[in-house]
Amino acid sequence: MINKKLAKVLSFRYKVLALVFIALAGGLVLLPKYEKHEGISAENLLSNVISSERYISADELAHKIINQDPSFLLIDVRDEESFGVYSLPNAINIPLEKLFDENSESYLNQDEYDVILYSNDNFYADQAWLLCTRLDYKNLRVLKGGINTWFNTVINPLKPSENEAATAFELYTFRKAASMYFGVSYPEQVKIIKSETVVPKKVVTVKKKKKAPVEGGC
Amino acid sequence: MGPLIPNDIISHEWNFIIAILIGIAFGYILEASGFSSSRKLAGVFYGYDFVVLKVFFTAALVAIIGILYMDYLGYLDFNLLYIHPTYLWGAIIGGIIMGLGFVSGGFCPGTSLCGVAIGKIDAWVFVGGIYIGIFSFSELYTLFEPLYNGSFDGNVTLMDTFGVSPYWFVFGFTILAIVSFYIADLVRKRVKKVFYN
Repeated sequence: MINKKLAKVLSFRYKVLALVFIALAGGLVLLPKYEKHEGISAENLLSNVISSERYISADELAHKIINQDPSFLLIDVRDEESFGVYSLPNAINIPLEKLFDENSESYLNQDEYDVILYSNDNFYADQAWLLCTRLDYKNLRVLKGGINTWFNTVINPLKPSENEAATAFELYTFRKAASMYFGVSYPEQVKIIKSETVVPKKVVTVKKKKKAPVEGGC
Repeated sequence: MGPLIPNDIISHEWNFIIAILIGIAFGYILEASGFSSSRKLAGVFYGYDFVVLKVFFTAALVAIIGILYMDYLGYLDFNLLYIHPTYLWGAIIGGIIMGLGFVSGGFCPGTSLCGVAIGKIDAWVFVGGIYIGIFSFSELYTLFEPLYNGSFDGNVTLMDTFGVSPYWFVFGFTILAIVSFYIADLVRKRVKKVFYN
């Protein structure tokens, strides 16, 4: 025996379904529209920005280069001309305006290497860092003070005055040794036959993210 | 977050496995709802049964409304979805041929395979016809090539072509669907009933 009440209710089912559809589709039209936010949330970006982790000092970098640490990638965000004049060994030049080119992305958006960005000072490198971090690119760092600080500390270290702490002298010795590694010679060493330090060319292989075409059909 | 495969949340290798599972479910539901009968599909053209129209129209609506809500809530990136490329004249002529096949054979490619699975002879003949069609198309490909690859419009959607907001488009599409269901019901009531199984 068919329940008559149920049958009566069910006879409206198509009308109810039609109303549900109209309500759902109308809801789409009425929903408040917002601009899609690309990349990470503002809170995460802020916490990344204020973290001191995002900087690497020139001394740390010198240490990495001298030890031939294979885990990092140097990226020079200055223009090609400045890059041609002077840059760090094995750096890759990605000028700021070419930051989001297809070729650049494979260097920046990967998680195999630490990426160290630098420019003459922090300014452009920080911009590049911010743009990329916002897009959730990982392992990005900025060389604190850029090439200028690099030059003033590693290449041309200031000799500490006599009444400074021993650590200052240790640092100076390290910097001096580092500068010799990068090709600076000092008067007291002229006797020594300058050996050519050949920095082995680092081969950087970056895996392109595979983007298989999506197929569909009936 | 979504779509899951293009975003590498599920690896590409799973593509075919998931496709097979969905395909099995699709075939089961087609057969269970009686779509493996050629009379059901032919009913749309003769006006005694509009279930096929209603089912596929509703499926499209559910899909597009669901996708837009998920896109709105950020669970799915609408721009990463696959959009079938448009070859305008190829689609028009192909559509006419397919429509003729529908009405004369009473199957669409999907339901014909369901019919094959349950051993319907007309479905076997129909699928045989599909393979003859595929074979002759491949053999005469050079002849059809300009039509097949011509008038290419890219991966466009109706919303791009008409420049309307997807939300208004879907709203209009919903109204259109409901009106067409209503008209279909009116037609069905006027046409002489056909009983089959």
